Amino acid sequence: MGDLETVLKQAELFEGLSPEEFLALSSLCREKRYRANETITRQGAEGDSLFVVCEGFVEVSLSAIEPDTGPRAVVHLGRGQIFGEMALVDQGPRSATVRSITDDTVVQVIDHEAFTALCEKYHHLGYIVMRNMAADLSFKLRHRNLTGR
Amino acid sequence: MTPIYKVSYVVRGEDHPGAILNMEHAPRVGEHVHIGEREFTVVEVQELIPPRDEFHFLHATVRAGSGPLR
Repeated sequence: MGDLETVLKQAELFEGLSPEEFLALSSLCREKRYRANETITRQGAEGDSLFVVCEGFVEVSLSAIEPDTGPRAVVHLGRGQIFGEMALVDQGPRSATVRSITDDTVVQVIDHEAFTALCEKYHHLGYIVMRNMAADLSFKLRHRNLTGR
Repeated sequence: MTPIYKVSYVVRGEDHPGAILNMEHAPRVGEHVHIGEREFTVVEVQELIPPRDEFHFLHATVRAGSGPLR
């Protein structure tokens, strides 16, 4: 696993897992690479995956509410950050559009079905990962409060 | 355990959404950081919430450019 293990261990999503749990979750990951300005998720679309940023940056943006205005960028996410977790938790449509803003942006993708099955089989793993996702959502809200966007 | 610093960067003085990223060291005032393709200078750093295990949660204010602090 090598470099993937190093990168994932620096992501808060995996914090607190036992070595066996870490291995089980990381085995669900599949890598995707993007050049700058490629759309990864689109607001309103169906979504069934969670993403972990391993290299590069992505921009999270929301559609315009007011007419005659463009989409509004709400945050840039770099190494170790997750996105797509809302659709994974509530199974609703994607809440934002996410695009890569640097060349060689690398993300790890975790599919909903396999992720849910793992959480149901290993309850401690499920608790830890859900706690980490809740903490990450809380951190994003704090960031949004600080930026006022 | 190697500490990991999860940092909320807020950009002062322009319409920028800021960024969240993990760092291997805590940002320091006057240091230059890259967010996307741009370089910023750290103006202020503070703890946002208490640490949990090896994770530290910080808030840093930055401004555009890499010139001296004013």
